[in-house]
Amino acid sequence: MPERVSEHRRLAVLGGVYANAEALAAVLADARRRDAEAVFCLGDLGGFGAHPDRVFPLLRQHGVRVVRGNYDEAVATAAADCNCGYTDPRDNHYARISYAYTVAHTSAANRAWLATLPGHLRIALGPHRVLMCHGSPRRINEFLWESTTPDGLLRRLLAAHAADVLLCTHTGLKWRRALNGGAAHAVNVGAVGRPENDGTPDVWYALLTAEPELEVEFVSVAYDHEAAARAVEAEGLPPEFAETLRTGWWTTCLENLPARERARGRF
Amino acid sequence: MADVAAAPRAPFVALSALWLVLTGTLCNLRCTHCLNASGPDEPWLPPLDAAVARRALGEAEALGVREVYFTGGEPFLHREILPLLEASLSMAATTVLTNGTVMTEALADALARLAHGSRYSLEIRVSLDAAAAEANDRVRGRGTWERATRTLRWLDARGLLPIVTATEIVEGAATYDRFRALLSALGIAKPRVKILPVFPVGRAVGAPGVRLTDADLDGFDRSTLPCAETRVVAADGVYACPILAGLPGARLSDGALAAALGPAALYHAACVTCHRTGATCRNA
Repeated sequence: MPERVSEHRRLAVLGGVYANAEALAAVLADARRRDAEAVFCLGDLGGFGAHPDRVFPLLRQHGVRVVRGNYDEAVATAAADCNCGYTDPRDNHYARISYAYTVAHTSAANRAWLATLPGHLRIALGPHRVLMCHGSPRRINEFLWESTTPDGLLRRLLAAHAADVLLCTHTGLKWRRALNGGAAHAVNVGAVGRPENDGTPDVWYALLTAEPELEVEFVSVAYDHEAAARAVEAEGLPPEFAETLRTGWWTTCLENLPARERARGRF
Repeated sequence: MADVAAAPRAPFVALSALWLVLTGTLCNLRCTHCLNASGPDEPWLPPLDAAVARRALGEAEALGVREVYFTGGEPFLHREILPLLEASLSMAATTVLTNGTVMTEALADALARLAHGSRYSLEIRVSLDAAAAEANDRVRGRGTWERATRTLRWLDARGLLPIVTATEIVEGAATYDRFRALLSALGIAKPRVKILPVFPVGRAVGAPGVRLTDADLDGFDRSTLPCAETRVVAADGVYACPILAGLPGARLSDGALAAALGPAALYHAACVTCHRTGATCRNA
């Protein structure tokens, strides 16, 4: 039986909440102001931030549909590690701290809810067949960076999954690309829980509209990042996490960045 | 040779990484533990013809390849490396694995032009074996530390953010920290270090060692092995592993990439190291 899909004209899509309830609340309010009919989250609710459990009521209150991220999959079962896909010792050092904290501060009820999340979602956005996933359609923790994701790979993934539009996150950096003369699209929606490694503390999400041609608008949102940073410090999490929230520059979990993306940041 | 037919297999999942053994085993150095026993003498594995390399790039693009690696030997000894890099970077992120001792400022300029003109990342991985000159040069040859660190500075000055690749000859996390400290001392603001384990292959091959069995892999997800997503094009055929390229037991096809997309035999002692350490030949 074919999968039933919901139909939409204007969507807000966000990723990488990273336990940053302050940023999530600001993004959801912004999406509502901009007349998004529905809000989707591409996963990774925990990590880095101070209050993992404060994210869940916000998502429910706003009716956000959530795709499972690698973090959600791991936290749901209190697995041995976050399966973020890091290979560098320094990245793994900070990932371990962040993951242990998140598991310890996520309630059993919320962990059970994480276990129910789907690995992908399909919707119709006007005439466009949209596939939403966390890392890539083939692997939950694959990093689809702009500078290491070839057109040929995207075309193959779209064809293999019978989709015109691929939406993903996992990297924390947004980008978009039109393919096949504008008939197909790939969009990494970035993250709302961590700034863009661009020297500003604002966070980003994506608004997608079927006009009926697909329009993709990345929206930056200012929020009370100082409150989020203070909460990180109050919980005894690494000061580097708070520094990133305040300055907008990534300080940890950046050794896996490709050269192009790494060159843009301060560290 | 171990029994290839009886060895366990790794499935082929997807072509994520294409490796080109550009110069075969031709190298200006003769490192004491070289993974494929490269050196300046007549190479036992010949260099890759540029037309073969271009054909492989085209095949790989059609297969949805994610990234490309140029290796050897020393790939910068290949006469056509720059046009091949340009072709590769037009379709995918590309990495060159170099010993860093044949770089010139003019070549670094040319690499920077290629990198800045491409939408995809160009990565240069420079091999060292010790953060200190004397210990490094014992393995890699006199003067190699000086030349490789000069290359690192040249590349960094041009915004190319080189990655130092080092073999963990002495085990322990300290190796990684020592190389980061070295790069910082060289004035490199974004130190990037990749540590690989010692593989029992090439000049580092030891006495006949243990081999993987199906029992060893019980409950292990074989699709996570690098060879499930890697294919390597060398002058004499296609392989699943860059450090086993040229070894008859590891050959999957005589030429076409499409004919080499079946399971790979985990027959070599180096397969044990990959399984045990979880090492990846990719940058990250």
